[in-house]
Amino acid sequence: MKKSYLARSFATATVLALAVGACSGDTEEPETTETTESTETGEASGDGPVAGSVLRVNWGGFPENWAPGAEMEAGNMRVPYENLTQVVDGEVQPFLATEWEQTDDSLTLTLAEGVTFHDGTPFDAEAVKTNIETIQNTPGPYSGPFQVVESIDVVDDLTVTLNFSGPAPSMLTTLSTRAAPMASPAAIEAGTIESAPVGTGPWAYDEASSIAGTRMVFGPFEDYWGEKPGFETVQIVAIPEDNAATAALAGGEIDLTDTEANQFTTIDGSDGLERLGYPAIRNNPMFFDRGPGGAFEDVEVRQAACYAMDTAVVAELQPDYVQRTQHFAEGEQGYNPEITGYEHDFDTAQELYDAAGNPTVDVEALATVFTEDQTQIYAEQIGEVGMDITVQSAPPPQYFSEWNGGRYGFGLGGNDELTPYDWYTSWFAADAPGNPAGVESDELKAAADAAIAAGTSEEADALWAEVTKVISDEALTCSHMAGEEFLAWNAETVTGVEAPPEAWETNLVNYRDLRPAS
Amino acid sequence: MGKLVAYRLAFAVPQLIIISIVVFSLTYLVPGSPAAAMLGTAATPESIAQVEAQLGLDRPPVERFVEWFGALLTGDLGTSFRSGTPVADMLVERVPATLSIVFGGMLVALLIGVGAGVFTGTRPGTPADRIVTGGTVLGLAIPEFWLGLILTTVFAVQLGWIPIIAWTPLTEDPLGWAVGIILPSIALGLTGGAIIARQTRAAMVTSMASPFTDTLTAAGVPRRVQVMRYGVKNSLVPVLASAGVTFAILIGVSFVVEKVFALPGLGTLMLSSVISQDFAVVQGVVMVTAVLVIAVNLLLDIGYGLINPQARPQ
Repeated sequence: MKKSYLARSFATATVLALAVGACSGDTEEPETTETTESTETGEASGDGPVAGSVLRVNWGGFPENWAPGAEMEAGNMRVPYENLTQVVDGEVQPFLATEWEQTDDSLTLTLAEGVTFHDGTPFDAEAVKTNIETIQNTPGPYSGPFQVVESIDVVDDLTVTLNFSGPAPSMLTTLSTRAAPMASPAAIEAGTIESAPVGTGPWAYDEASSIAGTRMVFGPFEDYWGEKPGFETVQIVAIPEDNAATAALAGGEIDLTDTEANQFTTIDGSDGLERLGYPAIRNNPMFFDRGPGGAFEDVEVRQAACYAMDTAVVAELQPDYVQRTQHFAEGEQGYNPEITGYEHDFDTAQELYDAAGNPTVDVEALATVFTEDQTQIYAEQIGEVGMDITVQSAPPPQYFSEWNGGRYGFGLGGNDELTPYDWYTSWFAADAPGNPAGVESDELKAAADAAIAAGTSEEADALWAEVTKVISDEALTCSHMAGEEFLAWNAETVTGVEAPPEAWETNLVNYRDLRPAS
Repeated sequence: MGKLVAYRLAFAVPQLIIISIVVFSLTYLVPGSPAAAMLGTAATPESIAQVEAQLGLDRPPVERFVEWFGALLTGDLGTSFRSGTPVADMLVERVPATLSIVFGGMLVALLIGVGAGVFTGTRPGTPADRIVTGGTVLGLAIPEFWLGLILTTVFAVQLGWIPIIAWTPLTEDPLGWAVGIILPSIALGLTGGAIIARQTRAAMVTSMASPFTDTLTAAGVPRRVQVMRYGVKNSLVPVLASAGVTFAILIGVSFVVEKVFALPGLGTLMLSSVISQDFAVVQGVVMVTAVLVIAVNLLLDIGYGLINPQARPQ
């Protein structure tokens, strides 16, 4: 699980933590209201459960802590837990919350009726309050997005209001992520939630049938509120080594695993084994030294560097990475079809650099084991134009702590924000944590202010698309790439395997659509 | 004998204190901040400072060490920065798997090592000696990680004799536990066996060439008795000395081997904790490992003293 492990570290260290910044903005508060009503309850799963069916999956490890706010792989978390919302095709949809009303100051959620946790505790407004407060108070990447929640009012059993201290247009999306699983408040208070997850999902943890550290068994939850999925039981195992995982798959010990490109030969040569890849990790270079007098202050210099970088070379060397023109995918808020990116063109790069007066660019970039090759390639390509980027190598802990802190003028890292608001406030706003230079153009600020003022209204989509266009035009970042997550499965035992519905999550499969093959 | 035990125990105490100081100090040499690692790449200075305060990382190192060491003496290894779980609880879950394969590996190493060493040491220079000694070189050269994969492929995938996901706690199913540690123990023990075989062979050659063997031969003692009763006993002295080192090596190697066999041991915990700068867990793993190595070496030293009176404190 090399890439998966790295991806875990990478994604964990970037995705939701960035919303710390996202939630600390002080932009003008918009006055918008939107109400969404539920059209569905639970998730469709096909033809119901098959008696006695067991799905055995491997994600390379187990969470050290199952409490809300702790870091969990999506493939583990989404077995026992469910969220208040879900994002389907880029749109926030009801889940445990059936409808909501969001204003600039608050978000009022109406909860699904008749939902209980696996331990029999009713899922209600008090449970939501307990969960969000637990997440808020847990040090780690998931607490950041919830710091904007100033207080939580339990209106009645099925109505809860989150009161905000600032703009929170991404809150509904955040509620759909790994940051916000809903766990039993009784288990949270008892402290047992850390080792024994108790959620509302169709599979309930069966401690008696599990073997600590080796196999976690999640049996059917008879009182599940939604439509039951095809597999009655899910067993999660932890085989961290790729070759061993492939061997376990080929040997029939497991039905599905995450895998790596170096296993493709074995997988393709084994009867019954199939595989797929789906985009799960986003990364792109950043020009941190873009403040006054900085090496990348001049937009033409940044554009020159962007044209110099050739993502095709990276894609060739790392087949699990694919080229993209922009951060957001089609269908996601922030996507702008007018953004065409900076397709590699050395002559244009040279012309732009010459036009800028060939200023001295001599900066350092910090890389780590899983960004080093890509950073080095970009540094060499930019170097051909005449700029000098020296790549320093550091172990992951140091890299995560320092790569974007301002000491290094250039860097490459994960940009896994799910909404343009989070992306902007994490990297490009003047007070963004990922903008150590602290500069922002008037045009970008105006565009962002307008988008934030639009709140969650329909106009917001077009306005955020304008923000991402400005970011691209100003070459604040470019050379977008998406890393793929690979799944391999035994087609003789499981069918319906596709990319998970939850976007940009590693180590996950569309659990509820899976069915036994026979 | 009591004097020997007391002497070794007294020596172990300063060892542990020094190790604890080194382990604690090393965490300060690691670049970066645990709080920054926890919060992610875009953590603000304010949020980092807040979490550092929550974790007590903003306090002076000496104050933290005194508190940590005091707690250590009571068995409290602190709380994981990342998961909030008591480190002692995490180690209690992880130690059995690591210890199982390390002791299993030691057993394999001793069986292979002493057996091969005695076999070759009693017939030096013969083709059989050359073949087996050559085999020990191979044993030293094969990476345990690779050997683990080969064993997995052959015995789990091809033959289907042993499952890959085979770990079962001893307390739940002793037979399942034994089955689960066979392959990892072999993968671990082969290198240790090669080391011990070479030590044993050298000791056996020396022992069997000693003048006492002439006396035994003159006294009509059969060759087999000379080897088993006198030669092997004398050869065990250097073997015991090297067994302690082998044990320490096996603990280190087990951190890699357990990954191949999906064992919930200390290695995977250590790796993830280092990456995430979860120093409380790193310190706990290192301290437990150090205690294990010291304890085993203590026992071996005592055994060494029993076999060799010259090694006892005067």
